[in-house]
Amino acid sequence: MIAFITVGSTRFDALIAAIFTSQVLSTFKKKGYTKLTVQCGHSTFKYANEIKNGETKALDQEGIEIKIWKFKPSLEEEFEKADLVVGHAGSGTILDVLRKGKAMIVVPNPTLLDNHQVELAERLEEMEYLIAATVETLPQAIKRFDTRKTKPFPPFDGSRFAKIVDEALGFT
Amino acid sequence: MSWNLSFFLGLLLLISLLAIRISTILPGSRNAKSRTKRSASDTCSVAVFLGSGGHTSEALTLMSALDFKRYNKRIYIVSDGDILSARKALNFEAFRGEDPNLCSILSIPRARKVHQSLLSTPISTLYSLAFCVYHLTLPPLLTSGQSSFADVLILNGPGTCFVLCVAVYVNKFLGLPAPKLIYVETFARVKALSLSGKLIRPIADRFVTQWGDSRQQEVSSSRWLV
Repeated sequence: MIAFITVGSTRFDALIAAIFTSQVLSTFKKKGYTKLTVQCGHSTFKYANEIKNGETKALDQEGIEIKIWKFKPSLEEEFEKADLVVGHAGSGTILDVLRKGKAMIVVPNPTLLDNHQVELAERLEEMEYLIAATVETLPQAIKRFDTRKTKPFPPFDGSRFAKIVDEALGFT
Repeated sequence: MSWNLSFFLGLLLLISLLAIRISTILPGSRNAKSRTKRSASDTCSVAVFLGSGGHTSEALTLMSALDFKRYNKRIYIVSDGDILSARKALNFEAFRGEDPNLCSILSIPRARKVHQSLLSTPISTLYSLAFCVYHLTLPPLLTSGQSSFADVLILNGPGTCFVLCVAVYVNKFLGLPAPKLIYVETFARVKALSLSGKLIRPIADRFVTQWGDSRQQEVSSSRWLV
């Protein structure tokens, strides 16, 4: 199985650092993940200086094949390939991943000024669409993650917004 | 009567007149509520602000809900330098198989750049406002037959979109035709409104949140728009 780690358009040093701990890697291994793709963005971590823009660093750690790169124009393909996505709690990423029917663990970035990412992550966990974790609880989250326990994410329903605009403009 | 007193009374009169005028154009007033009825075959123009990143993706998802036969003219407003949003809008139109002549992109100066000093923010905000007023007011006036810049303006934040709202209100204030304002608070905001949401709430014709009332939080997806 493949897991994809994403930090979005900025950086998330603590999440990337956690991924490379032997505790997290061995948990992935135990759960059957043999490949890990890491989109590290501008995060600072031990391999950051070795990765140039547009290049991929490959390594083997704890028996897992790991690929690391900074950015790609679109992450669609990575979401498609992955069995599990571990990401920051950006709403765009969450919608993209869950609409693809993929399993997701979100780790809200505590260093962001606004904590509304935490609220979104907690609400969606309450609704059983994903698992919310912190950098510290990530190994447990991977361990207890069971796709059979998450609910299918509701599909996009455009009729609601169409109705709002039609009404505002006097179409009845 | 002293000169000072008459000046004061004059100022008071002016402020009262301004307040009365503004009260007649706010969404709650009877004037603003009288809406035009449209027949099913009418077409409309729609403008949407793409606020970069998650805002842009959500705004384009909202646009994808619209019937482009009805909303047959589309204006995508981006902030200066936000090439990614402009490209996403063009890709979106191309993906829908639309005639590129029926959509346009308007790039507006940012009200406040990232890391800009607080001291220079009022200046850049004023410049942004002047630009928006100019582009929302003049071309429709000069092109005969066209009613307003767009029939509806869709917004979902962040900051710069408030400047667009003020520009729309300048048109309303002058009694010129102005687009309906629809603000959709982002999906990311579960409990509290964003700053642009708080600012725009009293002046939008339709203000929609995707998670319901903040006091009686609904744990349901029934209000999601994206």
